[in-house]
Amino acid sequence: MGDLLLEQLTWGNALIFFLSAVVLLMIVLGFVTYAIYFERKVIGWMQLRIGPNRVGPFGLLQTVADILKLLLKEDTIPRKADRALFILAPVLAYVPAFAVLAVIPYTDSLYFADLNVGLLYYVALSGITTLAIVLGGWASNNKYALLGGMRSAAQMISYEVPLVISIVGVVMLSGSLNLRTIVAEQGNWFWEWNFLPQIIGFVVFVIAAVSELNRTPFDLPEAESELVAGYHVEYSGFRFAFFMLTEYVYVYAIAALTTILFLGGWHAPAPFLDFVPGLLWFMLKFACIVFFLFWLRATFPRVRVDQLMGFGWKVLLPLAILNVFVTAAYIEFFIKR
Amino acid sequence: MKGLLKGLGVTLKSMTSKKVTTSYPDEPFVMPDRFRGIQHFEPDKCIVCNQCARVCPTECITLTGKPNPDPEKKGKVIDTYDINFEICILCDLCTEVCPTEAIVMTNNFELSSYSRDELFKDMEWLSTNNKLVRKDNNNIGAPTKGGGK
Repeated sequence: MGDLLLEQLTWGNALIFFLSAVVLLMIVLGFVTYAIYFERKVIGWMQLRIGPNRVGPFGLLQTVADILKLLLKEDTIPRKADRALFILAPVLAYVPAFAVLAVIPYTDSLYFADLNVGLLYYVALSGITTLAIVLGGWASNNKYALLGGMRSAAQMISYEVPLVISIVGVVMLSGSLNLRTIVAEQGNWFWEWNFLPQIIGFVVFVIAAVSELNRTPFDLPEAESELVAGYHVEYSGFRFAFFMLTEYVYVYAIAALTTILFLGGWHAPAPFLDFVPGLLWFMLKFACIVFFLFWLRATFPRVRVDQLMGFGWKVLLPLAILNVFVTAAYIEFFIKR
Repeated sequence: MKGLLKGLGVTLKSMTSKKVTTSYPDEPFVMPDRFRGIQHFEPDKCIVCNQCARVCPTECITLTGKPNPDPEKKGKVIDTYDINFEICILCDLCTEVCPTEAIVMTNNFELSSYSRDELFKDMEWLSTNNKLVRKDNNNIGAPTKGGGK
């Protein structure tokens, strides 16, 4: 893929790029389908239930059936809604979610774009989704949707700050915003990966990421047991599916990003395990993080709104900034490039 | 902080422990002894004493008797015996009061149907409902013979 990116853009190359994007889209859709299935299974097991097992063997087709049902539903747009924005919002939510996947490197040679500001690109684009959520809440012309959208925006914006600052430590250590370089800079032994030297950053990043994904214990915007769905009250059918899709694509993106930034990407945990292909190591770490997210959801209760904002600004942000200074001092006194 | 980790441990442990889900509609659900299910009625034992109909709190039992066809014998035999399961609360009083154990409880409980008419069960239906009949119908120490004061 790397050589292809450097070649002149011809019609043939453009076709290859287009097809590989379609393949990635299919992979992501497959991931979303089975992530939902896996989530329901895991939560079921943790609640001493079995989970979906009726549709298809082991219930494997349950999500397919659910999506099919969702797509067959009537597509309603409220009469008093802002029609253009209402239609635009789900698109605006999904496009950045898919676009950020372009900079994720899976192995040394398998990646879609080799951006030297890859991390910045990720952060910048994922911010647009927040806008789409507010837009969806506003365009619905429904007070609950608007409130949900506002809450969601407040939460996502205030957790994006510690999220970004917690990454700064990693960037300082590897001296690059390029995700491929960041992985390459992490060593071959698992204790040389960033999650141990950057343990504060790692913890802040994981907490902020869970909040950024609007997942339990930070799922106040949706809070299925207490609110009316949040910003997507008025959405149904295909458009609702797009919001759900966005959420799960971000799970994919964040899990991949955590793997790359802190868990050594495609590196094996020890040099003698190198015979296993890097892609498998990547997938293994990726799956562990996805499982961890589901595990959190099965375990923790929801935090309160006042705790949420206080925690983000008064605990996570100072910790993230502290991490930056500690890392700077460490580099100054011990490494000194 | 410690509590959070403890909680994670609990959920991780319960992930592999035994599940409480039963595959009920696929496999019949076994009810415990002395479960109060749909009554089984044995017409031959009935002496038409009318006690069950009188004790029934919802008045869901209706019965009629006729003179014994054998002229040698006294008393009546049962002619019709109906229980309306729209209002029966399966309270067990009819089976407790029955002096001859003609009406007893079973472990069957599946009464759902598409029509209310199907809930009106007659003598024939009740006597064929003879599966899973409760074995121990009066273990509260009721006198077996010549009871009372």
